[in-house]
Amino acid sequence: MTQGPVEKDRLAEAISVVNLSKRYGTTPAVQDLTLSVEPGEFFGFLGPNGAGKTTTIRMLTGALPPDQGSMRIAGMEAGRRNEILKRLGVMPESRGFYDWMTGAEYLDFFAALYGLSTAERRARVDNMLTRTELNPSRNKRVGAYSRGMKQRLGLARALINNPTILILDEPTLGLDPQGQGLIQNLLRQLNSNGVTVFYSSHLLHEVSALCSRIGILNQGRLVALGTIPEILKTTGTQSLTEAFLSLTGTT
Amino acid sequence: MIRHIWRKDLQSELYTWKGTVWLLIAALLFSFTSYLLLTDKELSLLDQTELLWLLAKIIIATAMLIVTIDASSIATAEFEKGTAESLFLAPMTLSDFILGKLLASLTLWVLVFVVATPYIIVASSGTHLAGFFLGYVALFGTLGVLGLLCVTLALSLLYRSSRNTLTTSLVVLLFLTIPALFGSSLKNSGAVAGFSRINPIDSIFSALDNVLVDYQVRLSANLRFLSPVVGFVVVGILFLLVAARVFRRRGIAGEMR
Repeated sequence: MTQGPVEKDRLAEAISVVNLSKRYGTTPAVQDLTLSVEPGEFFGFLGPNGAGKTTTIRMLTGALPPDQGSMRIAGMEAGRRNEILKRLGVMPESRGFYDWMTGAEYLDFFAALYGLSTAERRARVDNMLTRTELNPSRNKRVGAYSRGMKQRLGLARALINNPTILILDEPTLGLDPQGQGLIQNLLRQLNSNGVTVFYSSHLLHEVSALCSRIGILNQGRLVALGTIPEILKTTGTQSLTEAFLSLTGTT
Repeated sequence: MIRHIWRKDLQSELYTWKGTVWLLIAALLFSFTSYLLLTDKELSLLDQTELLWLLAKIIIATAMLIVTIDASSIATAEFEKGTAESLFLAPMTLSDFILGKLLASLTLWVLVFVVATPYIIVASSGTHLAGFFLGYVALFGTLGVLGLLCVTLALSLLYRSSRNTLTTSLVVLLFLTIPALFGSSLKNSGAVAGFSRINPIDSIFSALDNVLVDYQVRLSANLRFLSPVVGFVVVGILFLLVAARVFRRRGIAGEMR
């Protein structure tokens, strides 16, 4: 079957979402969300608490089935979950860890789930621990890690399969400036190497510094989509904070 | 994939103080029972084969209780500790997850059986029944434990809470065990007789009675007891399949918001 121009565009996109909706009981969490993220883009997904960011990410990663709408990730339909997950790195909101494992064991376990050989696993684990500056604590139990170290370990886990698309849900939440800086630098580096980043946050300064394009979600609806200058122009505001407050109706 | 889940759960469940305590409890129970059977004046008046049957029932009941309690948390802990979402973000299917957990719990049963083996051999000395005792406990015990595990894992997928799973699993175990405690006259009357015939635990105990007390050691002589146990496993697997479908529909993140 020949694909139309719209369908061809969707195949070329890293993330493509059309009319995605999800309800919890009678409460709508996400309503008719349509957006796309280009390959290699650093996309910021903003919204106040409870706007539906985490629900959207859970639908994108297949952790939550949408009530309606369609998605394509890495050019593949959402139904090809395992194929998608091989190309996807995700840092979810709920970051439970196996506290009894060491940092190296934790990463090795997840690398094994991607079907990597022992030698590949060892190399990837070493690389990830080095890049997230966790190498000195590699043999410490995860339960003894600080919050910042756990966040970095979560990021290392998300990167263990060398993903082409990275979906991050508040990756720097609760981190000190050093921790935030380390994660931001690592993400910049990955993005400059062609990794698409879908970055959910409500830290506006961070999003301004990192993202080339943003989407703002409010009460489950996408209320703005574009580059920061485009959004400032549309809202007639001077800063992203002002634009965010005017779009989300909070002061 | 299944192997990695299984190995992780062995490390977290069995190679820890928790696993050691379960096996220690099993060993203490078997030691205590064996000691009573051999030294208690009234119990020692029982025929040796009756003693073997009593020991067999204690081994099966202990294993079922331990495995049920342990399995109640083996899957639910992933949801309660927030590790399930990360786990399912790896390219792994729900079947891999379930089978990995099932294998880890079955391993606990194997370990309980290994602990019970010397007691079985010593208690059976002089009866020539040790091999049959081991074989039938292995066969019926494995099937009974497998059925219970399927039910417990299905409940884990539905509840995603270890407390609710444990409570319901224990109620199921109790419900299945009570008829086995009835006397033979009560078992032969009306509805109790019907329930007793299809009850897997009662069937396991009756099979062991048939083998150890009545010397009906051929498998063909025990097929009538095997069918309710196999039926229980089939029902358990069907329940697990339904629970897996419900789980998929709700999503891994379920009602988390």
